[in-house]
Amino acid sequence: MIFDNYEAFRAANFIAKVCILGSGPAGTTVARKLGAAGIPVVVLEAGSREFSDESQDFYRGTTVGDFYFDLDITRLRYMGGSSNHWAGWCRVLDKLDFEPKAWAPDTGWPISRADIEPYLPEVHDILELPGFRPDVPISDDIRWIQLIKSPAVRFAEKFADELDKSRNIAVVLNTYATELTGDGKKVTGARLWSNGQDAGLFSADYFIVCTGGLENSRLLLWSNQRSNGGVVPNAAALGRYWMEHPTFEGGNAILADYGEFEVDAVNEAFFSPSLAAMERLQIMNFGIRLIEMPYAGIKRVIADLACTAPDMAEWAAYQLSQNLRCAAQLYVAWEQAPLASNQIVLSKTDVDHAGVPRIELHWKKSELERRTLREGLKLFGTTLAQKDLGRVRIADWITDSGDFPTDEETAGHHHMGGTRMGTDVTRSVVDANCKVHGMDNLYVGGSSVFCTSGECNPTTTITALACRLGEHLSKVVAA
Amino acid sequence: MSSFIKKMHRRTIVQALIALPALSLFRALPHPSASSSDRPDADPHEIVEVSGWILKRSDLA
Repeated sequence: MIFDNYEAFRAANFIAKVCILGSGPAGTTVARKLGAAGIPVVVLEAGSREFSDESQDFYRGTTVGDFYFDLDITRLRYMGGSSNHWAGWCRVLDKLDFEPKAWAPDTGWPISRADIEPYLPEVHDILELPGFRPDVPISDDIRWIQLIKSPAVRFAEKFADELDKSRNIAVVLNTYATELTGDGKKVTGARLWSNGQDAGLFSADYFIVCTGGLENSRLLLWSNQRSNGGVVPNAAALGRYWMEHPTFEGGNAILADYGEFEVDAVNEAFFSPSLAAMERLQIMNFGIRLIEMPYAGIKRVIADLACTAPDMAEWAAYQLSQNLRCAAQLYVAWEQAPLASNQIVLSKTDVDHAGVPRIELHWKKSELERRTLREGLKLFGTTLAQKDLGRVRIADWITDSGDFPTDEETAGHHHMGGTRMGTDVTRSVVDANCKVHGMDNLYVGGSSVFCTSGECNPTTTITALACRLGEHLSKVVAA
Repeated sequence: MSSFIKKMHRRTIVQALIALPALSLFRALPHPSASSSDRPDADPHEIVEVSGWILKRSDLA
């Protein structure tokens, strides 16, 4: 069932055992799992069926530190959440992303990739993906990896009919949970805002916060402040260890044979480091995206190469004359080191229309990441040269240690961390089952539970974790 | 423009403009790694970084 407002839902007298906040990929997936298990669940969605400026306004906030996107642009507040604007790139976090890295503090998950692999067939159905091929090592240091461009499933579009027909799932639109109330052991209710006013306290046996990689922290920080620590009793890590995938054009490559690597429909191929290379160089994970270069750009690269390696430039010019694609732009997205100082805090001066403090996002790239970018490109260039697959030129701003450009991609709109998973309550917010430490009935879904970001887009892993959480909760609620 | 130029393939012109002048012009320039590349024992497969390019030493010959 889908209700357009809270008043209509209340009139229906639907009794929910589980309350999910948010209808994005995580919230919808958990709801479908619970509904399929026969558990009555309500999904409270703050936005409507469609985009509106009024709804987006609740997401405004500020950023302190490095340049970042406006916070009301980088995510969407309506049914389906940010699945409404994702590009569709899919890959699950690598096995190595789950493992602790001695050279990077606060890395490692309390679960392994094997814990989410059983859910990947479901994820493939949800995201409409073919099977992934295994990574292909092209040297001891570099893997040719696969990211699949899915149809970019819009969760509201795909599942609206199923949700509307469900007897166990009630989706309630235009209903904003402004805070959770709790006593340090259990969440006792969710305070709602509907139709421009307070709509009282909503009760359920279990609450799952799936409002996004920024909003999850905001809601829990505000709830905890209002309840004097009654919602997140161990809050030292709450809002902290926030991560993105910084993304910049890192240089160019001239390739012996562009066809060497099977590329996707948009002529892109992806490369990442081996764990051994990361360990040897003490860098984070990264992904180099190889994009076919426009003709005019190729000429500039060849002219530049002629200054350094004229024979190689002559060869490249010959390739060009033979109408062979021979050059590519190299876009690099990398894993951020998890830092407690990269965090979401509540604004002391600015609130939304419902009186909830807006987000102040503190975000800064570290020296380890700058080294990851530079060493990663060198590693890729070295592999191409050693294997005679091509030659790489690293962009001047990287070799000169210049400032990060402000006119490029900047980041992936991937909001991760803030309520990270772990066993140490001083460095994490939820346990391996996504349950908030110390709370009996409060869970978190979505990329805010990520301990590390890896280098790939998060939606596939978010959906796998949501399937796992849904299955776990089905057993807990049924017990 | 002469008919000769018109008949030439566009990419051939690009090749001529880019590659041929580069050969004569830039080979004469002293290279930062020239001294070591001239060494008889220099490994031609050694990876070097020059002006942002990741190259084999033999590329510099």
